[in-house]
Amino acid sequence: MAGDLESSKALSGLLSGLAQDAFHGHPGITEELLRSQLYPEVPPEEFRPFLAKMRGILKSIASADMDFNQLEAFLTAQTKKQGGITSDQAAVISKFWKSHKTKIRESLMNQSRWDSGLRGLSWRVDGKSQSRHSAQIHTPVAIVELEIGKSGQVSKSPVRMYCSYPTFHIGKLGHGKESEFLCLEFDEVKVNQVLKKLSEVEECISTLMQRA
Amino acid sequence: MEGSSEPLLDAKSKVTSQLLDFQWKLGMAVSSDSCRSLKYPYVAVMLKVADESGQVKKKSFEMTIPQFQIFF
Repeated sequence: MAGDLESSKALSGLLSGLAQDAFHGHPGITEELLRSQLYPEVPPEEFRPFLAKMRGILKSIASADMDFNQLEAFLTAQTKKQGGITSDQAAVISKFWKSHKTKIRESLMNQSRWDSGLRGLSWRVDGKSQSRHSAQIHTPVAIVELEIGKSGQVSKSPVRMYCSYPTFHIGKLGHGKESEFLCLEFDEVKVNQVLKKLSEVEECISTLMQRA
Repeated sequence: MEGSSEPLLDAKSKVTSQLLDFQWKLGMAVSSDSCRSLKYPYVAVMLKVADESGQVKKKSFEMTIPQFQIFF
């Protein structure tokens, strides 16, 4: 029924479902699930092309990472097309993109990252007091543990400091199935070398951001 | 002691390695098949490490700029 296909609330739900399937990798969101949940009165053969049209529109918007001007121009063109969308539908799509754009973009970025990511980093400083072979009294040693694994969100949890031990966790997230833990030992010289490299990266990032 | 539930660094890997080399690259992802307009910078890191037996391994990983800034 055309009336049902024009329901704004149902379309909003449909776009959410499409986004979950196409971008966020949520399994099990089938055409039949969407139809039965959101458009139960619409027969499958009518629903299928409607779904394909909406999916196509959403993918175009996401692929071009449209800003709001581009979005308005694009949606206006869609309303003028034969077999396009209504202006009510355009309004729903516009509202959806504006509120979900950031999250969808983040998912697309994750999808395009195929190397491992840094999923967690923890460190601790030990004081070596004695060693069998040499008198290394009070030599500080930093122990850093890196968790390396496939794409995952970094948690933005606040840094926690421990009073008795200089240990803190930064951005620890849930352990993935395929995470690898790399435990590295650094003396002060090495720490400074690494810090110097990291500040070189920061400098490059700043330069890049200034040019953008 | 304090009854704190915060865990201390409990190294999952009991073997500590030495960092031999740290290479980095600042890249820009422009486009991909799922998104024509990616436009995001990222930091790629390549670590060369030696474990206790002296075996040298390379580990590489990638981060977005916000992730880099959270960790470092």
